[in-house]
Amino acid sequence: MDEATKRSLAQAGVDVDEALERFMGNESLMLKFLLRFPADENFSHLRQAMAAGDAAGAFAAAHTLKGVAGNLSLKGLCQPLHPLVEDLRGGNLAAAAEKMPALEAAYTQITDLLAQLA
Amino acid sequence: MNHSAAKTILIVDDEAINRAILSNIFGPEYEILEAEDGQEGLDRIEEHSDRLSAILLDVVMPHVNGIQVLRRLNQAGLTQSIPVFLITADEASSTMREAYELGVMDVIFKPVVPYMVRRRVNSVVELFQARRRLGAEVERQREELLLQAQQLAEMGMGMVEALSTAIEFRSDESGEHVRRIHDITCLLLRDTPLGEGLTEAQIKLIGIGAITHDVGKISIPDAILNKPGRLTAEEFELMKTHTLRGAELLARIPQMREHAAYQYAYDIALHHHERWDGGGYPHHLVGDAIPIWTQVVSLADVYDALVSKRCYKDALAAETARDMILEGQCGTFNPKLLECFRQVEPRLRQFYNTAQGGQDHG
Repeated sequence: MDEATKRSLAQAGVDVDEALERFMGNESLMLKFLLRFPADENFSHLRQAMAAGDAAGAFAAAHTLKGVAGNLSLKGLCQPLHPLVEDLRGGNLAAAAEKMPALEAAYTQITDLLAQLA
Repeated sequence: MNHSAAKTILIVDDEAINRAILSNIFGPEYEILEAEDGQEGLDRIEEHSDRLSAILLDVVMPHVNGIQVLRRLNQAGLTQSIPVFLITADEASSTMREAYELGVMDVIFKPVVPYMVRRRVNSVVELFQARRRLGAEVERQREELLLQAQQLAEMGMGMVEALSTAIEFRSDESGEHVRRIHDITCLLLRDTPLGEGLTEAQIKLIGIGAITHDVGKISIPDAILNKPGRLTAEEFELMKTHTLRGAELLARIPQMREHAAYQYAYDIALHHHERWDGGGYPHHLVGDAIPIWTQVVSLADVYDALVSKRCYKDALAAETARDMILEGQCGTFNPKLLECFRQVEPRLRQFYNTAQGGQDHG
């Protein structure tokens, strides 16, 4: 992975060093899962459940997304995601809905970048 | 001693990325098995339970979740032998409490930090390995101790038998007398209803008591012990004291007194000349006041005396000996004892299949 890629990943909110450490320095394995992230369906599930007012479904999707984002050290995404997960854990759809735009923005930023890298 | 090749870890997680991360961490040291949900995890565990070093278990999974897997492992007692680690993104305390109660060794939070999860898992795996090795070592030592105890018991038995045989030699009887009384007594107790309610261990102890039945003869002068022909009334009174002297002798040996066979040996030495109708000695006990094992030894003693040559008599044929006993010519015995004796008597002859034809060498 070249320096330019690292820099742009960092700009998109990825803690590259931490992610690399989690993959035991195995860069290709990390990249494989990073590039697979845009295909992960949890975000669209979350979006659909929020639109349908399904708090339980939204929580399940947000919770799984938090796990995947955490593993990839997608800090930019985790930041708005964590409080949203807690809102949904408490069944507070209205509070979660208020946080959705910020999450959408962070999600778009990282997936756009990853799509370019692929 | 570290059989790293044999170490296997099972990773149960529905997310491919989680399995990949954990597999990448433990791959260099362990053989990795993966399962994509709880049910598949349970299947893998059933197949490989004897070689799993650890199980890394996700909590939230479709179908069968991690806690359900844990409950099943707990029921099967497997959490005792295989360390289970819960890998969870949740810090919900109720889940963690239940997990610990069900026997997980540790809870590790996602996203995992490799050096930490590796250290924590390896420590526990080593602990379990050490515990297993130690358990095997304790088991081996226990077996060794049991063997030594058995050897000691056999040596003790050998001493008792040697002493009893030495005493028998004085009265011109071979050591085989002692052995045969033992064998006849044990056969009657093992193979007839006479031994009902007695365990094999008890019968063995009674066998020891049968061996020492005549130790009191050590106190009887040679002139009486080896007198050919009938004893005078006075001589017979002295001869009868071998029962009392035998019991006294046994009671004076501390090792004997503490031996599990003592209660049998003492009674047999003291009462093996009692008779069912009270016509015996030294206490003229009647009927069941004489313990059944002592009654059996009495009969074995009489039978062996009849079919063996003694200084005061020739050996009799087995049939003659049997009939004399059944007809009451050697004192009255318990009818139940006589019936059992009648049935197995032909088998007792196997103990006399020697070159001497059952006669003592003198």
